[in-house]
Amino acid sequence: MIRRRVVALLTLVLAVPILAASADDYPSRPMTIVAPFPPGGMADLHARPIAAAMEKVLKSPVGVVNKTGAAGAVGMQFVAASKPDGYTLLLALSSISIIPEADKLFGRQPAFTADQFEPIALLSADPTILVVRTDSPWKTAREFIEDARKRPGQISYSSSGVYGTLHMAMELLQHPAGIKLRHVPYAGAGPAMTAILGGHVDALASGPAVVIPQIKAGTLRPLAGWGDRRVAALPEVPTFKELGYPEAEFYIWAGLFAPKGTPEPVLARLRESVRAAVNDAEFKGAMDKMQTPIDFKQGEEFKKFFEADARRLAEGVRRVGRIEEKK
Amino acid sequence: MLETLQNLSLGFSVALSPGVLLYAFLGCLVGTLVGVLPGVGPLAGISLLLPATFGLDATRAIVMLAGIYYGAMYGGSTTSILMRIPGEAASVMTCIDGYAMARKGRAGAALAIAAVGSYLAGTVSVVALMFLAPPLAAFALRFGPPEYFALLVLGLLVLAYMSTGSMVKSLAMAAFGLLLGMVGIDQMTGYFRYHYGVVELGDGLGVVPVAVGLFGLSEILITAGQTTRPPVINPRFRELLPSRREWREAGAPIGRGTVLGFVIGIIPGSAHIISSFVSYAVERRLSKRPQEFGKGAVAGVAGPESANNAATSGALVPMLALGVPSGPIPAVMLAAMMVHGVSPGPMLIRQQPELFWGFVASMYVGNLVLLILNLPLVGLFVNLLRIPYHFLYPGILIFSLVGVYAVNNSVTDVWIMLGMALVGWVLRKLDFETAPIVLGLVLAPMMEMSLRQSLAMSDGQYAIFLSRPIAGTLLAVAAVLVAMGLKPLLTRTLDWRARLALAEKGEEL
Amino acid sequence: MLTVDRVAGGALALLALGVLVESRVLPLGSLRQPGPAYMPVVLALLLLIFATVLIGLGGRSPHLRTTAWAEWRHAAAILGTCVFAALAMERLGYRITTVVLLVFLLAIVERRRLVVTAVFALALTVGSYFLFATFLRVPLPRGPFGL
Repeated sequence: MIRRRVVALLTLVLAVPILAASADDYPSRPMTIVAPFPPGGMADLHARPIAAAMEKVLKSPVGVVNKTGAAGAVGMQFVAASKPDGYTLLLALSSISIIPEADKLFGRQPAFTADQFEPIALLSADPTILVVRTDSPWKTAREFIEDARKRPGQISYSSSGVYGTLHMAMELLQHPAGIKLRHVPYAGAGPAMTAILGGHVDALASGPAVVIPQIKAGTLRPLAGWGDRRVAALPEVPTFKELGYPEAEFYIWAGLFAPKGTPEPVLARLRESVRAAVNDAEFKGAMDKMQTPIDFKQGEEFKKFFEADARRLAEGVRRVGRIEEKK
Repeated sequence: MLETLQNLSLGFSVALSPGVLLYAFLGCLVGTLVGVLPGVGPLAGISLLLPATFGLDATRAIVMLAGIYYGAMYGGSTTSILMRIPGEAASVMTCIDGYAMARKGRAGAALAIAAVGSYLAGTVSVVALMFLAPPLAAFALRFGPPEYFALLVLGLLVLAYMSTGSMVKSLAMAAFGLLLGMVGIDQMTGYFRYHYGVVELGDGLGVVPVAVGLFGLSEILITAGQTTRPPVINPRFRELLPSRREWREAGAPIGRGTVLGFVIGIIPGSAHIISSFVSYAVERRLSKRPQEFGKGAVAGVAGPESANNAATSGALVPMLALGVPSGPIPAVMLAAMMVHGVSPGPMLIRQQPELFWGFVASMYVGNLVLLILNLPLVGLFVNLLRIPYHFLYPGILIFSLVGVYAVNNSVTDVWIMLGMALVGWVLRKLDFETAPIVLGLVLAPMMEMSLRQSLAMSDGQYAIFLSRPIAGTLLAVAAVLVAMGLKPLLTRTLDWRARLALAEKGEEL
Repeated sequence: MLTVDRVAGGALALLALGVLVESRVLPLGSLRQPGPAYMPVVLALLLLIFATVLIGLGGRSPHLRTTAWAEWRHAAAILGTCVFAALAMERLGYRITTVVLLVFLLAIVERRRLVVTAVFALALTVGSYFLFATFLRVPLPRGPFGL
């Protein structure tokens, strides 16, 4: 008799939280944005300001959790597998399109696939910039490309890791320009920068935020950019598009995603709150300090951008192939 | 010189202003706490508190984060000495002789020597940082993959001097550790190695779970079950401080450790752990009583502790002088600078003198604060040892579990720790040394990567190692060391280690 | 025959062979361009050599029987409890797991009095939670009822 009552009571108690989580009063619980990279990295530096801004808009706590590992795969897999209820979001960088392709290349069970995510919004998209040291012989991008054609495999460049963003950027240049460069992978963007500064490699493609201080200090010289527009802070640097290589388009972008299957009203609410958050003064200030221009895209626009980017990257990865088999 | 002094006085005026001083103190406090907790190390501490600094101005934020960084190095020695649990990976070497000293009742002395050594090393290296940051950074940049590989080969030779027992056993443990380092994504080709579908293993077995499990947890597994409880040591106050003899023994190792640690710290990418390993080996080789090592040699605590504190300052040199991170911790600090609108780079020293000099001055202040903080705490910590072991070890277990979990929010790390605890327990029963495993684990990925990077740079030519001056020199030194070690085999004289073993046998009889 | 060194050497040799087997799926590369399997294979071979030497010279070390395994049950209990904690932490949440862990260790393994155990367990759980989750802002896993 007592037992039945206890069971009934327990059921009631347990049912309350389940009933409470309906989409009408979303968000009713704290949300988490997962940044799949270590603190201080690009993902983190986007996630925290946007979380703070969204918190103000949604009037509900939004926290950031770093789930690092395997170049972002751990965090991305975690969100792909989490409940699509709108409380777990992903702040992804362009590697979200690269990792599943790389997995396919190696015949591995993919950690996750891009279609396990529902894109919400793009926050920023920085094109990479090709830099060489100021004491190197190439003064323009054309000189560089011509020299590379004459000496295939002799000019070296560093990257943040094989199939990483800095590697893929260079790959997307080599094919249309018809050149072959020597790739020396490093463990991250920081070591890649140290390598070129120390004279161990000849060239580097990296994001504006890290190369601009060096350019201003006179240690590095920018040759060209991978965007479809010139970078505002570097107005004299041409784009590869202008130089005649329109397929060399690459951005290190950051965007917000939700697991696929998140209900439409929740998605709509998220999209509208991100739109408001992006206009928040503090968010703008934070992005300014990091010298990352906000490039906000949403809905169809973002989908187009994301898919075009994914296509380019997938092709690039396939062309790189498995490094060991290319002899 | 005059200019530097002027800048320094500017810096002190910034560093001693109440706001900045408060945050430096806070950083040191949190850093010590983070260092004491097993598993959570300076990187985790800085990462966790980075968001809390967003509301502060740049100088205060950087000063606080730096305080956490070197505070953690001070705190890490505490658990190493008292409970044989490395507070962070760099304190592994302190576990060996520090804990042995604690067993002999000299825990207070060990803690005091560690604190003073850390203070001296920290202060001296800040001075070096101040005067030599730009030229040192330029030198450090010249360390590319071939130089790195040569340095690591030298580091491997260190293993030969670390073991107290059979050479073959240590080599086997080193090979085992090196193999453990092979787990994870191969950075050069993108292949996943030995991960069996667990994505979290993509970055390999972390040093922190392995070190905490191998040293700390295995110690608990062995001690908790002993029917005879270890004697509870109740030291008198006078016994808390090191004796005159102990101070004398600590002097030179502190000096050597400082220089070694600072130089190794400057080199981009190298891990702090290496500095403490190398210091331990150097001290052992130079000691007049090498048989003491492993049983409570003062130099075995003074050297490594000074080395890892000096390495902390060294690691900041490339960050401040050039704006390039020499490791994950400076990378987070650079990001913190960027978030606060300070753009790091070669112009930082010139464009933001208050930041740079305020930072340098706050490091002096911070080191002093930590010394003042840690010395009286010696008494408190030693009294922790008086808690009955059956209450103490569950507490240690909890903190280790959470600490290791907290680093990456990953239960996989906890599993690795438990697995290594079992391995460590078995190995100690079978009379194997566990320290070479940790060194191998740290060295293997770096060695492999720099070897293959060097070959990529030179398109497969091995000559690159000899044609570059720094790399060639380091390899030559390594070759000389190997030859010196092999000489006894040729001349059939007993080398110092064999003589050591004989002397030990003689003592036992 | 079954000396300590021989057993250890045998285990290490098995491990080395295991690594060699597992490395078959990875490309070896060449001396000029070592592949992902290169270094592991070299290391495994080295380990095999050392293990063999251990087995060979192992006759002089003490016999397996002399190693003191007396406390293995106690150690196994502790390790087992930790395994439970690792399994339960993300399902039951930090606080519940910790309390259960401490109660089990103190009351059952160490046989302390229940009252003391309960107080200690609760105090340590609350204290450590405060330290990590509130002060250091580590997101500790939450179980049912948000604990």
